[in-house]
Amino acid sequence: MSDDPELQYPTGWEERAPEGWEWENLWKAVETGDHGYTHDRVTEAIEAGIDPRDILDDGLFPGFNLQGDRFSANIIFIPEMLITARAMKAGLALIRPLLAAMAVKPAGVFVMGTVLGDMHDIGQTIVSIMLENAGFTVINLGTDVHPDRFVEAIENEKADLIGFSALLSTTVYYQKVTIDEIAKAGHRDKVHVLIGGAPTTPAWAEEAGADGWGKDAMEAVKLALNLMKEDRVAWA
Amino acid sequence: MSNTVQVTFVDQHDNTKTSTTTQPMDATILDASHSAGIDIEATCGARGRCRTCRVKLLSGDVPPPTIQDTVQLGHDEVRENFRLACQTKLIADVTIMSMPPKAEAGHQILAGGEDVSQDGRMTLDSGVVKHLVKAVAPVEEHHQTSDLEEILAVLPEGTDRDVNIEVLRKVPTVLRDQGGEMTVTTFNDRIIDLEAGDTTEHIYGVAFDIGTTSVVGTLMDLTTGERLADVGGVNPQAVYGGDLMSRIAYAQFDDKKLQTLRARILNAINDYIKDACAEAGISANHIYKIMVVGNSCMHHVFLGIDVSYVGLAPYAPVVRDLLVYPARDLPLKAAPNARVCLLPIVAGFVGADTMACVLATRIYDSDEIRAMVDIGTNGEVVMGSKDGLLACSAPAGPALEGAQIRHGMRGAMGAIEKVSIDDEVHCTVIGGTPAIGLCGSGLIDACAKFVDAKVMDASGRFRKDGRDELPPAVAARLHDTVDGIEFILVPTEDSGKDEPITITQADVRQLQLAKSAIFSGIVMLQRVMEVPDEQLAEVMMCGGFGNYINTQSAVTVKLLPDLPLEKLTYSGNAALMGAQMALLSETERHRAFKLSREIEHVALAARMDFQEIFIDGMNFTGENFTRPKRSDARRAAAAAAVGD
Repeated sequence: MSDDPELQYPTGWEERAPEGWEWENLWKAVETGDHGYTHDRVTEAIEAGIDPRDILDDGLFPGFNLQGDRFSANIIFIPEMLITARAMKAGLALIRPLLAAMAVKPAGVFVMGTVLGDMHDIGQTIVSIMLENAGFTVINLGTDVHPDRFVEAIENEKADLIGFSALLSTTVYYQKVTIDEIAKAGHRDKVHVLIGGAPTTPAWAEEAGADGWGKDAMEAVKLALNLMKEDRVAWA
Repeated sequence: MSNTVQVTFVDQHDNTKTSTTTQPMDATILDASHSAGIDIEATCGARGRCRTCRVKLLSGDVPPPTIQDTVQLGHDEVRENFRLACQTKLIADVTIMSMPPKAEAGHQILAGGEDVSQDGRMTLDSGVVKHLVKAVAPVEEHHQTSDLEEILAVLPEGTDRDVNIEVLRKVPTVLRDQGGEMTVTTFNDRIIDLEAGDTTEHIYGVAFDIGTTSVVGTLMDLTTGERLADVGGVNPQAVYGGDLMSRIAYAQFDDKKLQTLRARILNAINDYIKDACAEAGISANHIYKIMVVGNSCMHHVFLGIDVSYVGLAPYAPVVRDLLVYPARDLPLKAAPNARVCLLPIVAGFVGADTMACVLATRIYDSDEIRAMVDIGTNGEVVMGSKDGLLACSAPAGPALEGAQIRHGMRGAMGAIEKVSIDDEVHCTVIGGTPAIGLCGSGLIDACAKFVDAKVMDASGRFRKDGRDELPPAVAARLHDTVDGIEFILVPTEDSGKDEPITITQADVRQLQLAKSAIFSGIVMLQRVMEVPDEQLAEVMMCGGFGNYINTQSAVTVKLLPDLPLEKLTYSGNAALMGAQMALLSETERHRAFKLSREIEHVALAARMDFQEIFIDGMNFTGENFTRPKRSDARRAAAAAAVGD
């Protein structure tokens, strides 16, 4: 069951990598948050001519997902998760330009922020990094974001998803207000709406009219990936 | 079909105690309990985020369990018909077993500590003065005078002529009752009472500290400064939300609910005044000054002021000033014109209670730099010296009060408050009874001892590997469950419940967030003031809760900075002591106002570096034996290279 999560080996990675190639060190480097070493290994992989998509899937994700699962299971905590996220970011920084050059489309455009009245953003920072890692283009509006700014941002970015957190029992109310404002602007069927934050619950997500609720950052990413498969009205 | 249902509550410990109420369909069991006069607590503010409102369905039908029921109670309990009262709607007549927190009566509430009046630095100038005078009723019709003018004539010059209508109504009788001998009570030269005869011996006042969790008060003789009675108990608003934010959320944008909260606290305070008067054998009509302190939310709710915007950035209070109102306006049951005084608020959540702590600790008068920490659901930190003070408020959340902790409870009878680990685990329980839970100081102590005993590492992770290095009896207490590792503090056979008392991995995470918030508050002020640890002369822990924390453990878990233990001190219930000082001394009350405008408020959430400090503060001290070393990957690579 949810005993210690184990590293999920990417199936068939041997066929995608050059003869004698070994990813083990990179998995470990991301897991332990060694960003310098991650940077070096990814550079090596690029120089070896490995497809950037394979570097991402076979090299970076296994260690990252392992830590993410541990984070979800309370085995590791925010500091360790952030250390791993930083290593992941170091690797991604090298790969992203290559992916862009190959015209690999982002997993989706995700607008996020903390609702009006709320100044807290630690959870949001983690979600934001994890989403970027999962291939989303993330536009983070920061904290204390007025509903109008959310509406404006999804219009400008033609966002696929929007997510907002509320970290205080006193501000969850503004999640519903923001969703209502998006609906009023006529965009509710164009974006998937995710909410989260310590005082929120799945029941509240339903009441507020969101499409999904994430218990933690890992779940938010899975949810976002699943929601991307669902139909929406396209932006004009 | 009828639109109402009958709900019968049966007490868990005494099944002859029942009460029945009629409720509209779709009301929750929690709503029903409140109208039946049964206090079922909803620490999270009825959001289904905790399990304090757990009840058992004895008969009748309820809807299927919600997700929150299952999340909080687990499948087993749900199958045994346990439900969260806040989540369960009424659809038919039911009988419910309420599960009141056991022995809450034993709740340790710290009263005033030593007598503030013994402190030589304070002047007794409560502002309340009784003048024994003899006035003569007008006798000659051609004298152009009045009863009031005759009384004013024998009072000191400067007495305010502006007399309250209720006092005025007493004038004709009092003037003639005992041949004109009367006692006139003034507060800062304003007449607030008239009595026939001599009552000058009786000048009393009460000081109250309204905390989010508990309320404490002291009845005092305003002439001598003597403490006559201490009263206190759990804040009766707590059933509507355990921490500040859930309390605000409950009353947000809903005046009726705000009034419910207000009525609860006013009733409690009036009861305490009655109790204190009975204990001291005095009449409440001789209470002339009531000093109230509390955090911004408690302060506003006490006055019936909307707190909706206090809970939203930028968290501005409605008023920060020194306030004085007649008792009958609240209403409080004292002399009708007794003055109810509130200390000023500094900013946001740095409220009147913090102001009182500043008065009591005299941190504003210190030559060296000191810090003062009020450890509670909101941890206020004040730092500085006579050269200036900084203050901030750190949102620790209710974990330290036992909320959102699997077996968490307040520091009441049956709570584990101390833990020691050698070859075995030893728990000290408040009241010496079998343990039924764990209070905040117990949680801190346990985690510190876990770190010392290497049951847990600095990252807060319970030991998974290498348990054979631990004493066998200790290792045996680490349990791997489907929800992660937990540590059994007290096994079922020794506990006061039908289950073991454990600390789960998730509990440790809650503690890490809470203690890091407070620790970060201290670190942030140090950073703003550029004060390294060595320059901190003292860190004073205030608040009822702080006094029960083992200082070494507080350092081990990184709740407090790593200073020599003699620099970490307890200040008792400083908020109440400060309130007592302002009660006895107008000098102190006005000092509070001056200080409140001088203290610089540091808004933590608005600072860029707060997040980094907060994350750094999440770890405990000690080593990290479970986390793979950073160099492991490199070493593995090097080894592989050699192997090639």
